[in-house]
Amino acid sequence: MKYVNCLLVVLFVVLSASGPALAHKVNLFAYAQGGTIFTESYFPDGRAVEGGKVLVYDRNDTLLLEGVTDTQGLFDFEIPEVDDLKIVIDAGMGHKNSFTLKKAEVEAGK
Amino acid sequence: MRTKTIAASFIVAVFMILAVNPALAHFGAIIPSDDIVTQDDDKTLDVQVKFIHPMEMHYMEMAKPKQFGVLHDGKKTDLLGTLAAAKGKSPDQDQSFTFWTTDYQIRRPGDYTFYVAPDPYWEPAEDLFIVHYTKVCVNAFGLEQGWDQHVGLETEIIPFTRPYGLWTGNLFTGQVLLKGKPVPFAEVEIEYLNETPGNINIVLPPADPYVTQVVKADVNGVFSYAMPKAGWWGFSALNEAEWTLTHEGQEKGVEIGAVYWVRTRDMK
Repeated sequence: MKYVNCLLVVLFVVLSASGPALAHKVNLFAYAQGGTIFTESYFPDGRAVEGGKVLVYDRNDTLLLEGVTDTQGLFDFEIPEVDDLKIVIDAGMGHKNSFTLKKAEVEAGK
Repeated sequence: MRTKTIAASFIVAVFMILAVNPALAHFGAIIPSDDIVTQDDDKTLDVQVKFIHPMEMHYMEMAKPKQFGVLHDGKKTDLLGTLAAAKGKSPDQDQSFTFWTTDYQIRRPGDYTFYVAPDPYWEPAEDLFIVHYTKVCVNAFGLEQGWDQHVGLETEIIPFTRPYGLWTGNLFTGQVLLKGKPVPFAEVEIEYLNETPGNINIVLPPADPYVTQVVKADVNGVFSYAMPKAGWWGFSALNEAEWTLTHEGQEKGVEIGAVYWVRTRDMK
């Protein structure tokens, strides 16, 4: 029993330590320019999402490519196809969000 | 009979005086079509710049501002050249007045603080000029950064409450600055914008003091007010400028106002 209590305390402390981030939604913003799609992933207070997984899907939810954000939360890639692109940022621990770059915006950034 | 007629005339006269001369507060205003832009929203904002009595919905003639711009990511962009004149009036005004409007394309995440420095407005009723430095903040794509930055106007309100995502009933706290320094015990006037888009219940003030709420700041120029209805709220801190302007050959005082607008929504 004591062992369980101790474990609970440890769990609580660990969760509390990551508390501030839990209150923050993760965001991804993307734009196309000169044939490249630039993505920026950030928390509301401006901190970059480092090492977040970026997944790019077309309108049929087919995974086109994936990558990892750098220390500034950035990840860019060549336009994989001119379509509505759903770009997902997965920062782990349930921190997930997506941004849809419309076909017209991709077209304009070719 | 005669006494009654006199009494009736007197009452009519009182009403006429009240109608002509209520306690009207002038407010500079910048009202954007949206205050929180998400990826699903229209990224083109319609931004309206006005000089009004917000509660009464009265417009006043507004000359082209001296300065109009936006502060984003620490950089100011001059938007004066994009302003186009438009006309507006309240239902009970029989004449239209000039206000200014622009379309602004949101391209990046972060907070956008729009600001205006108007041309001085001559107010004969108060025998002074009025200059209301006005600001409003629009948030884009979830990056909540920039709303507390100073624009560097002669006088301005610095929000201490994040100025978007506010519920009806929330407290708005801000600090009044004049030449960058807090104004102790500054008087702040607050009005509800009856013209708020979607406002179906026009507020009819039961007595004059309800038109303009008044709070005083503390020794650090910090004030607070809880907003009781959904829509746009204007906060205006007034000071007298150290400089004067000439009207018909006479030196006249200038009232400088620091105005800030925020929007509340009902919790439902």
